[in-house]
Amino acid sequence: MNESYKVISSSILFWFSQKKWFVYSVLISIFLLNLSTPVGLTIPAYHSLIILLLVFMLVTFEPIPFPAIALLTLVLQVVLGVAPPDVVASSFMNDAVLFVMGSLMFAIAIVHQGLDIRLAKLIIKIFGKSKRMFLAGLMTISAILSSFLGEHTVIAIMLPIGLSVIKNIDTQQADGKNAVLLTLFSIAYGTIIGSIGTPSGGARNVIMINYLQEFSNVSIDYWKWMKHAYPILMIQLVVAYFVLQFTFPSSLNNIKMRGFKKNIGKTDVKKNINHLFSCLIIIGIVSSWFAFNDIYGLGIIALAGALTFMIFGMISWEEINKNTNWGVILLFAATISLGFQINETGASSWLVLRFNELLETLPSNSMNVSWSIMAVLSGLTANFFTSSATVSLIGPMAIELHPTDISFALSSAIASGFSFLTVISSPTAMIIYSTGLVSTKMFFRVGILMFIISIIILYLMSQFYWVTL
Amino acid sequence: MKILIAIGGREFSKPTLDLGMKIANSFKSSTTIAYVGKKISQFSEKDVSVVHQNLDDRELYRPGIRTLEWAYDFLISKKYIEEKDSNKFDDYLLVDEENSRMKVLLKGQQSDKIDLIMRTGEIIEQLKDEVETNKHDITIIGGGGNKGIHQKLVQFIDSSVFVVKNYSVNKKYKILLPVNDSKGSDMAIETAINFAKSYKLNVEIVSVPEGKKSIEEVEKILKKTKEQFSKNRIKTTTKLIDGPAVNSIVNYAKDDSIVILGVSPKNPIMKYFFGSKPLSIAQKCNCPVLITK
Repeated sequence: MNESYKVISSSILFWFSQKKWFVYSVLISIFLLNLSTPVGLTIPAYHSLIILLLVFMLVTFEPIPFPAIALLTLVLQVVLGVAPPDVVASSFMNDAVLFVMGSLMFAIAIVHQGLDIRLAKLIIKIFGKSKRMFLAGLMTISAILSSFLGEHTVIAIMLPIGLSVIKNIDTQQADGKNAVLLTLFSIAYGTIIGSIGTPSGGARNVIMINYLQEFSNVSIDYWKWMKHAYPILMIQLVVAYFVLQFTFPSSLNNIKMRGFKKNIGKTDVKKNINHLFSCLIIIGIVSSWFAFNDIYGLGIIALAGALTFMIFGMISWEEINKNTNWGVILLFAATISLGFQINETGASSWLVLRFNELLETLPSNSMNVSWSIMAVLSGLTANFFTSSATVSLIGPMAIELHPTDISFALSSAIASGFSFLTVISSPTAMIIYSTGLVSTKMFFRVGILMFIISIIILYLMSQFYWVTL
Repeated sequence: MKILIAIGGREFSKPTLDLGMKIANSFKSSTTIAYVGKKISQFSEKDVSVVHQNLDDRELYRPGIRTLEWAYDFLISKKYIEEKDSNKFDDYLLVDEENSRMKVLLKGQQSDKIDLIMRTGEIIEQLKDEVETNKHDITIIGGGGNKGIHQKLVQFIDSSVFVVKNYSVNKKYKILLPVNDSKGSDMAIETAINFAKSYKLNVEIVSVPEGKKSIEEVEKILKKTKEQFSKNRIKTTTKLIDGPAVNSIVNYAKDDSIVILGVSPKNPIMKYFFGSKPLSIAQKCNCPVLITK
């Protein structure tokens, strides 16, 4: 057989084996485009739903890079007549996208300062009396910080603290292995749970606030979100503590607090000043989110945080540029743009109409059933598709279900934050998984219980607490 | 000759590493020990990279490094590397190279014939890239896990592939060499001669009459192959086996066989969708199998 034929066919086969989901997704989209438009849908609305399905498949299976998916989303919106180029361009950039960009840069700047050593000292001082208290402290501090600074910042700061106490534990023995898992899961669950607490806890929260403002003209400020979400966070924390203690019973004898204290003992004056400035900038930015988010928007304030670190020379642009995930920013911008078109073309109304028709066929059709389906669907989709992308794509539908009742939109955003089932659902889960100490099965086994309990807590709070606000 | 040994979990990789190093030592070849880390979702890849860097700076924990450290200690314990105070693993430098490749440099003097590297991503893509960039002749990988991986490795990697299944350090092995008159078979014979000479193994040459081939023709192939080994003073036995090729060879192979096969001359597209005989043998045999290219 001709050698060049073998090389070419082998290269094509390798490309196909790596990109098969891209080929399948495109074929499915072409097939759907050739079907007649469903009754009640305009052609642009139908095409926007096909692009939505295509994006879901491409993001889930990742056959092509995220920036390529983002560009494809924008190109298809124009080529398939969903919206004119100017409209697509203007919906591509808004405060939610600026928030994603700003919070990623701000996170890199904070992590670069080495605040984990300072924080470790604080945790030891407050919670260092017993090992169990120390783990509870790790979880609580992770949750509080994550609620303001976001998951990716906090997991990067807290993981070194956790790993330094379990550094030399023998994981061959059950007690030692459980101590390691208990420590890692305490940090992971604290961080994940915390991210629902305030708008700045996760990009999905900001995206939902933006959608509510645009589609329903409902404004939710920082404090209002906190009043709704923080009590849920606190109940979840207590539940998570007991779930983990029950799942990973350990004497914690192997945890070495002494070595840990010795390791964090050395700091110099320069570092002290640097840490002081960092804390002042963080406090300034969080206060601004509270006080000025109505005027300046959360995104601009997050960008101001990164900017301040750069102006004071506490981080270089090269460092920020190297570690910022520009692909994710582009992807969020493109999916938010698609989310706007899904709403503008009436596709979300059509989907909600079909959803309600489906509900009517059920024996008991009530608000509670539609809430439950929406919350569980948001939570599950987020676990297989990541939370922020889920909200950017199905957020318009959640709002459309009850445009004047914010509990649907809030519940959808909060349930999307229950990233307990899969390791791809959030940066925290992926980072914990990447240590090689936690398997995907283990993550799911513990997470399924937390997911169910969290949905129940969310339901009860929306029914009995939110109505009192 | 350049050898690539892919390792994963510690206990599962012990036989792979041991056999791989024995082969590398007997051929006096340079060896790359590669740990391919878990594929990270594009959403989190930068976050994971920042955290890993952070952990590494604090000398806490670097996923993958611990596995390579274990591999390095294993090589010292087996005396593949001479133990000196200056070549301890404690003090290492991680050099970030292109295409998700990181090289571990030990500050003391270490064997210049052994490279330790870490890669992150989809295993086939990473090993293919490693072989193409560094021109490895043999890729050695454990036999556990997903069988599809072995098929894809043989299909797409431009080196011979050695799948180490059920290898025991203390067992005395012999080479089982199925032959026919294909070009792939010639390559397998050449490799088997080198293996048998360097590793001092007995060789069992077998052939299965297929298609229109008469028994006389097959016996002629066996005789010719035996002569090639005799010229190199290697002890061989020959055997003609009846029945369907794949099942006959799989049934004939024992726990103490190392099966050496040539790659199938079939069209790559047919191989991808319908497999090939060497691939089926590699998947069904319960012993180490080397598919030569």
